[in-house]
Amino acid sequence: MKPFVTALLALAIAACGTGKAIFNVDAYSFMSGTGRDTIHYAIPPGGGTASTVQKINLPPGFGKSIVDSVRITTGNANLFNTGGTGSIGLGLFFAADSASTYTTPAALQVSPKAVSGVQGPVPVAITGDLSSTVNGLFTQQTVWIRIAAIGTNSGATPVTGKGVLTALVIRVVVEDRIF
Amino acid sequence: MRTGVVALTLAVLVLAPLRAAHAQFSFDARRIGMGGVSLSRDGNVRRYNPAYRAVKNRSNITGAPKFSIPVPLGLIKFLKDHPLSQLSHDPTFTPESAAFNPVELMNLIFNPPIFYEVKAAPTPTNNVEFTIGKNQLIMNLGATRVLIPEDKFGLGTTSRLLDAGVGFAGFHVGVMGFLQYDVGFTLDSLLRRALTDTVVGFLPSTNYTILGDGVAQAGFAPTVSFATRVMRGTGGGTDDADDGVYVGVAGHYYMGGTYARGRGPAGFTTGNPIFGNTPLGILDDTLYTSNKPFGHGVGGDAGIAWITGPFEVGFGANDIGAELTWSDTKVQRIHYNPATDSVTTTLLNNHVQSKTKMPVTYIANAAMRMGTGTTVGGDVVNSGRGTAIHVGVEQRTGPFALRGGISRDQRKRVQFGWGGGLRLGPFGLDVGFWTHSNSLSPQRAITMATSISVY
Repeated sequence: MKPFVTALLALAIAACGTGKAIFNVDAYSFMSGTGRDTIHYAIPPGGGTASTVQKINLPPGFGKSIVDSVRITTGNANLFNTGGTGSIGLGLFFAADSASTYTTPAALQVSPKAVSGVQGPVPVAITGDLSSTVNGLFTQQTVWIRIAAIGTNSGATPVTGKGVLTALVIRVVVEDRIF
Repeated sequence: MRTGVVALTLAVLVLAPLRAAHAQFSFDARRIGMGGVSLSRDGNVRRYNPAYRAVKNRSNITGAPKFSIPVPLGLIKFLKDHPLSQLSHDPTFTPESAAFNPVELMNLIFNPPIFYEVKAAPTPTNNVEFTIGKNQLIMNLGATRVLIPEDKFGLGTTSRLLDAGVGFAGFHVGVMGFLQYDVGFTLDSLLRRALTDTVVGFLPSTNYTILGDGVAQAGFAPTVSFATRVMRGTGGGTDDADDGVYVGVAGHYYMGGTYARGRGPAGFTTGNPIFGNTPLGILDDTLYTSNKPFGHGVGGDAGIAWITGPFEVGFGANDIGAELTWSDTKVQRIHYNPATDSVTTTLLNNHVQSKTKMPVTYIANAAMRMGTGTTVGGDVVNSGRGTAIHVGVEQRTGPFALRGGISRDQRKRVQFGWGGGLRLGPFGLDVGFWTHSNSLSPQRAITMATSISVY
C-alpha cells in the first residue's frame, strides 16, 4: 500500500518539476468532534496551563524532504470564561510523540487575551510562522500537536472556562525531495 | 531508491503522451523537413512491405542520397552546456542537487539532444498543492494536470532486431529476430477524477486503481520470402524501367525464446475517514511466464507496390495471423494481503499451454514524382501501437531543394516540418525543422536537424 501511495505522490510531485509541494493540513479536522478541540482551563492564582493533544497523519514518503517553512495560515479559537480574572494565551507545541510535546518549547505563542468573570466568546486569532525547529517533524508520517491555554491569574479565585478551537490550518512548504 | 522511483514514475508520465518517439525520429534532415515522410525506397517501406525487395532503390529517380551523415549541432551544444568532466556534479543528473528537475531529465532522455532544439518545450515548474484533513485529500497539480492521461497509456512496439539471409531469383531465405512488447496502464475513472479535481479530491472508503496490462515476447523466426514484379508497366518491360506491379510475401516460423504477460489492478482503498484509518492496498495480478523456450507459431508478411511512371503506391503488412503457442507456461497470482501487509505469490497453474499474438503492423505509402522537380509523398505507419501519418513535398530547383510536410503523430497531434537543401555535386547539405511533442509539456518544441548527404 505505502509504495503505491508514495508512487502516486511521487507522480504528483514529479509533475511540478522544480516547483514546491505545499501541504495545507487542516489540523482542526482531526480534532473536531473528538472533544480535543476544547481546552477546559482552571488557572489557579499565580498562573498555570491546560492543554489538549492531537495526532495528525501526513502523507508518507517525505522523510528526506526539506521543509522550507511551516505557517499557521488560518487559526481561530473562542474563549468562554466562566469565572476569575486574568489572561489566557495559547501556545502550540509540536513533537514526534505525545509525551515530547510537553518538553519542547512552543513553536508559536499567541498573545494573551484578558478575561474576567463570565465572558465570551472572546475571539483569538492563531496565525504566524512556526519556529523552524519543528520543520523536520512535518516530513514524518505523523506529528503530534499540543495546544495549551497559558493563563495568568492575579486574583484569589481560579480563572475558569474553556477555549474552543474553530479553525486551524497549517501550511507546510516542502522542497520536492521525496523518499 | 528515490531516483529509481522518480524515474519510474516519470516514465509512466512520459509514456502516456509519448509513444515510441524513436519510431518517428530520423537522422535525415530531408525526412525531418518533410514532416517525417520518406520518399526513398528503403527504410520503412522495405521494412514493412516485402514487395519492395523486388524494387530497385534508384537514388537518381527518388532523389534520395546513398546515405546521410547527421551534423549533431544539438550534441555539441549539449556537451558545451554539460561538460563531461563535470557530469558527476551536473544538477541535471544529480538528484541531490537543489536545481535537479526530474522533468527536464526525462525530456532529455525522450528527446535526445542530437539535433539543435530551436524552441525547447517549457519545463513545468509550478507548485503542487495538497489539502489534507482528517477526511480530505485534494491534490492540485496546477497546470500540469493536463498530463494526467485520460485513456490507456503505455509503450509498445514490434522490432525486427535481425534480418539476415541470402537471396536468389526473388527468393530470400534467412532468419529474423523479433522483439515485441506492449505495456499499458489505465487509470480508473475515480483515480483520474481524484487527480484532476481540485474541489472534492479523494473520497473515503473508495478504491483507486491503475489497471496494468503488459506483454513481452522475443525470439527468432526462420523466414522464407519471395518478391517479384508480376506485371510490367507501360515502360515496355525493360529492366531499366521500374514500372509495374510488385508483390511480396514472407512466411515466418516463430520460435519464441521467452515471454511474460501480466494483467491486473494495483491501488488502494482509502480509509474512512481518509486519514483516520490506514488505507488498504490493492494488488491482484495474474502473471503468465514461459517455463521453457520455443513457443512456436506461424505468420506472414504480405505487400504490394504499384509503380507507373512518376507515381508509386504500396501497402505492406507484417505478422499477419502470427500466434505463438507456448507449451509450458506458469500462471501465478500476485496478491497483496492487507492482513499480513505482504505480497504473496500463488501458483495457479503450471505446465499449461498458453498463446500470444503478435500485433499486425503495416505501412501504406504513396509518392508522386513530377517532372518539374516536385515530389509529393505520404505514408501511414503503424508500428504496433498507434498510427502515424506523414505527408511531405520536396521541390528541387537546380542545386536547391525546398521541403515541407505535415504529420499526425502517435499522440494524434499534428506536427509540421519544413526545410531546404543545397546539393553540390556528390554532396548535399540539408536542414530540416520539425515540431514535436516528445516532451513533458502540452506545448510543441521545434528541432532543427542538419545532415550531409552523399549522392
